[in-house]
Order: sequence, then structure tokens, then C-alpha cells
Amino acid sequence: MRTASILIFVVLTGTGGEICLTHAMKLLGEVHDFHPRAIVSFVLRALRVGWLWIGVLLMTASFFSFLAMLSWFPVSFVIPATSLAYVAGAIGAKIFLGEQLNGTRWAGILLICFGVGMAWADNLPASLHYPSMITVIRRVILALAAGPLFYYLVGIYSAWRFFRVAHRQAGRLQPAKEETPAISVFKPICGLDPGAYENFASFCRQDYPEFEMLFAVNDLQDPAVPVVQKLMADFPGRSIRLIVVAERLGANTKVSNLCRLVREARHDLLVITDSDVQVEPGYLQSVAAMFRDPGVGGVTALYRGRDNLQFVAAMDCVGSSAAFCGAALVARELEGLKFMMGSTMATMKQRLAEIGGFEAMVDLHSDDYELGRRIAARGYRIELLPEPVWMAFPSQTLGAYLRHELRWAIGIRNIRPGGHFGMLFTHGLPWAIAAAWFAPSAAIAAGYLGGYFVLRFAMAWAVGVWGLHDPVLRRRVWLLPLRDLLSFFVWLASFGMNRIEWRGSSFTLEKGRMIPVVPRAGRT
Amino acid sequence: MTAPKTHHTKTYVLLFLLVLLGSVGNTILSKGMKDAGDLDISHFASLAAGAARVLTSGTIWAGIAMMLAFMVCHMLVLSWADYSFVMPFSAIAYALVPLLAYLFLHEQVSTARWIGIVLIVLGVVLINRTPHRTTPQGTPD
Repeated sequence: MRTASILIFVVLTGTGGEICLTHAMKLLGEVHDFHPRAIVSFVLRALRVGWLWIGVLLMTASFFSFLAMLSWFPVSFVIPATSLAYVAGAIGAKIFLGEQLNGTRWAGILLICFGVGMAWADNLPASLHYPSMITVIRRVILALAAGPLFYYLVGIYSAWRFFRVAHRQAGRLQPAKEETPAISVFKPICGLDPGAYENFASFCRQDYPEFEMLFAVNDLQDPAVPVVQKLMADFPGRSIRLIVVAERLGANTKVSNLCRLVREARHDLLVITDSDVQVEPGYLQSVAAMFRDPGVGGVTALYRGRDNLQFVAAMDCVGSSAAFCGAALVARELEGLKFMMGSTMATMKQRLAEIGGFEAMVDLHSDDYELGRRIAARGYRIELLPEPVWMAFPSQTLGAYLRHELRWAIGIRNIRPGGHFGMLFTHGLPWAIAAAWFAPSAAIAAGYLGGYFVLRFAMAWAVGVWGLHDPVLRRRVWLLPLRDLLSFFVWLASFGMNRIEWRGSSFTLEKGRMIPVVPRAGRT
Repeated sequence: MTAPKTHHTKTYVLLFLLVLLGSVGNTILSKGMKDAGDLDISHFASLAAGAARVLTSGTIWAGIAMMLAFMVCHMLVLSWADYSFVMPFSAIAYALVPLLAYLFLHEQVSTARWIGIVLIVLGVVLINRTPHRTTPQGTPD
């Protein structure tokens, strides 16, 4: 039974993988130019095709199970048995790839199948054994599985480096009185988040001399409109404007609205935050203080969750604080921040003009990432606020959470395919499980699993509890392994997909650009 | 598309490279791993030394480079040729390996194996008589 199932697994994953690979290559079209540079560009283009990645994953699975099979059975059985793959491949090519197999080709394939069977059913020549292949694989897996553990150590170190300074600065970053440039705060909104009034009001209560708040909606019927009107009534001393944006410049409505807000803004320093963000009264002071350094082109902020302990909301929060903020801190430590987060995108009008304004980004999916990347590419630094902002993670269903995570993962894969693939080594749980499975002794298996739990929680604690003072993470940190497991499957799934659902419309992504699948005229 | 002649030539060149890189790369890689010796994971120092041996072994890197080149050739040839053409064609490696072992390593080859080798070669000859591509061109060139 085990023999049959592993044989079927090897044959099906191998054949399936190669069929996906073939499909990907046929999508790219025939290669005519064999200049090394043309081949490199062909391979790079191929890496952007989702089918290639599915193919590679399946082929890898097939390869490892093939080696496992070789460790259980003699080669004289394994190779003839797996030559069934020739028949499976021919059938698959006919069904899935639409290849036309005539009688001659079928005859050839069957002859080869029998031939391989006969030639290898004998014991192998001694010089050709693969005796240590399974040992080789075991070593490779054990070595690679140390990667995530190392990543967690780097994460702890990065968190220590950042928060050691940030904790001293938090709440104390005050620009001198003559250095408080007037600020325009942008709130592009769409629909109503729970606690919206409190979130908005926290900006009105800023301890800062001069700033204005600009809200953008696409529709006067938006449920956020009465909330903004109440805000205007409750804070008559504040300059608050509500702008209804009729024009839609591209697929990303948020960026489209930002284009308009930049034109409306009276001040040079722009602070853009997502609608679900709440801040402490010293927030704008800290932002302004960061811009005292002329080398700083953008300021962004980490975030922590606010008192929603609903299961999925808490899991979202745990993932954001412990995993995403941790990854951001590692990126900051290793190469400097080259992206921003929607929790805070602060920059100057001049910097924005240098990168062509938001107008250059109206079709891009990950606008926060792109804004930071473009400003950093002009040679400016992106800095992190010492204090995180508060974020309200909404109660939601598991399905909605997974779809959101998947959309985010597809977005990242699209703009940074290499970096996204590299995230393989931040997924500690599957590696620990694989290492435990292949470990030669129970002690080593326990070592890998224990190493994962200890270092993973240590990093979560360093980033989320010690660093960010995240109250949700502190109480729900045990959700982390479950979140890690789900996140690994989301990561895997992101390779096979290129279509996202966003604010009710479907898009496919191409180099970070959103291409509408069913174009709709405005929102209803 | 250029003349069918060139079309065929590049298929054969790549299939040749595919078989060569695949079998040589595999052999070199397993030889490199064997030379690096058993990994002793009882002590961190010996584990590190073992990992260093693996990472500094020229043989292993040569093997990896060959496997990567193998993958690229595979991708290139599949960009125009049928999968059901390339896949059985590359089975010729299963005939060549025992044949080369017989010629160079003087391994014994049983009658059954000789028959198998002949069947594989016949099969490849038959496959070779079918068109390299039976699917419509995806992109106009």
C-alpha cells in the first residue's frame, strides 16, 4: 500500500510539475535568441510566471519523494516503476497541453517504458549506486531548516537595536518651536471602520501648532461622511475639510484620491494614514521632528493592535506585530527601510514631486510600498517613528482574513518576486516539522521543534511585547504557531494566483500594476 | 519562425545538453557529497566543519551549476518543443548510462539490459520521427 501510494505520488507530482513548467514556457513563447543576455532575460521573465513556481514546487516534491523511495527500495525496482511517468506524461500532455500524439509517438513512448524497465530491473552496476542520497537530502534539509532559526535571531537583534533607542525617544521627540512646519493630514477613506470617530478624533487632539485635516471620499453617501461632519462640529477650532473626489485616475482609488488631496493641501509636510489608525497626542510632533534631518525623505510607523480579542482579529494582530513589524525591523537593520506602511506615510510635497507625484502610481496595488521605494531610490532615507501607532483590527471571519492575507502576498510576489521567494526562510514552523521528520534521532528532532518555539516566541516578545507594547499580542501570543502555519499555506497559494479582489472589483496584477478584469465605472 | 532545419538543430543541441548536463551533473553532485563525508551532527564544531566542507567543495558547486544549466536548457527547449517529445527523448540517458558503464568501467551488462537498451534506442528513433511541436504557436514571432 505504501509502495503504491508513494509511487503514485512520485509519478503524479513529477509529471504534474513538468506539465506546469511546459505550460509556463509555452506562455512565454519560443526562444530564438541564444545570446547569454537573452537567456538571462528569458529566465527572469519566466520567474514571474506563477505556473513555473507551481511546477518547481511539484517537481521538488517529486524529487524528494523519489529519493525517499530510493532509500526504501532498490534502484532496480524504483527506476522501472517510475518509468510509468512516461505514460502519465504522455496522457497529461494530451489532456492538459493539447499536444497531438500520433501512433508513432505512442509506440515510441511504450518502447521506452519497457526498455527502461528491462535495462534497470537488474541490479545496478556497483559504480552507479545512490547509497547516500537520502543522507544527502537529510543534511540539506537540516542545514536549510536552521535558516528560519537564524532569521529569528536576527529579528531579535534588529528589534533590540531599534527599540533601545526608540524607547528613549518615545514621547520626547519635540521639534524646537521654530521648527514646527504646518502639516496637512490626509485621510483617504472608503466605508466605515469600527471606532472610526475615535480614530479620527485622535488626530484632532494633536498637540501641534498648525495643521489641517483633509478627508477624501468618492461618494457623499459614504457612511463615513456623517462621522466627519460630527468631527467638524466637535472640533470647531480645527481646520477640517471633506473632499468628494469624483474623478478616478486609475485602478487604485485610494491613490487617485491622494492625487486630489495633494492638490488641495495647503502645507508642504504631508502625513497620510489609513482610516483605521489611532495616534497619541504627540504623534505629529514626532513626525515633524524626524524631518529636521534633510536626508530623511519619508517617515513611516510600526503599529500595534487595539483591544479586539476576537479570534481572527487577534490572529491578524499577532501576525502584524510579531511577523510583519519584525520583518520590517530586519529589513531596516540589514539594508535600511526602502518602503513605507499604510499606518503612516509622511513626506514632503517636494519629495513627492521628484518621484512624479501620486499620479505616477495610480494603477499600482501596493502604494505604500511603492511610495517608500521611490523616495528611497532618490537617495533619501525612510525612517521609523519611535512610537508605533494604534491599529484597530476588525473582527472578521477566517475566510475574509485569509483572502486579505492572500491579496497582500500576491501583491508582494508581484513587486518583489525574489524577496517573496526568500520568505521561504522566514517560515520556521514548516521547516522545523520537516527537520524533525528527517532528523536522524529524536533528540535532534526535538531540538529543531524546540528551537522554533523558543526563538519564535522570543522574537515575538522582543518585537511585539517589549518593543511595541502591543496589548493584544501579549495576551494572544500563543496564536503565533497557528498563524505561522496558515501564513505558510497563504505563501504557497500566492504562487499560483495573480488575481485579486479589491473593494468589490477583480484585478490581475502585472509588475505591481492593477489591471481590471471587469472594468466598472466608479463605485456604487 | 526560421527554417525548419534550424528549428530541428536547436532542439537536438538542447536535448544533447539536457542529457549530458543531467547525467554528469547528477554524478558529480553525488560524488561531491560522498567526498564531503558523513556529516557529524553530535557537536556544533564538527557540524560547522562538515557544512564548511560541503560549501567549499568545488565538486559540489560544479554539480549545482550543472543542474541549474540543466534546468535552463529544459526551460528553453520546452518553450517550443512538445513535452511529450522532450520527455521520452531524454530517456536516452537511461540507455547511455549502462552503455557508458560497459564501455569505460567494464561493468557486466546482462542480456536483459542489452534488450532494454535496444528498446530505449528504438523508442527514441520512433519519437524522433514525430513532429517536434504539435501545439499552435502562442506568440507571433
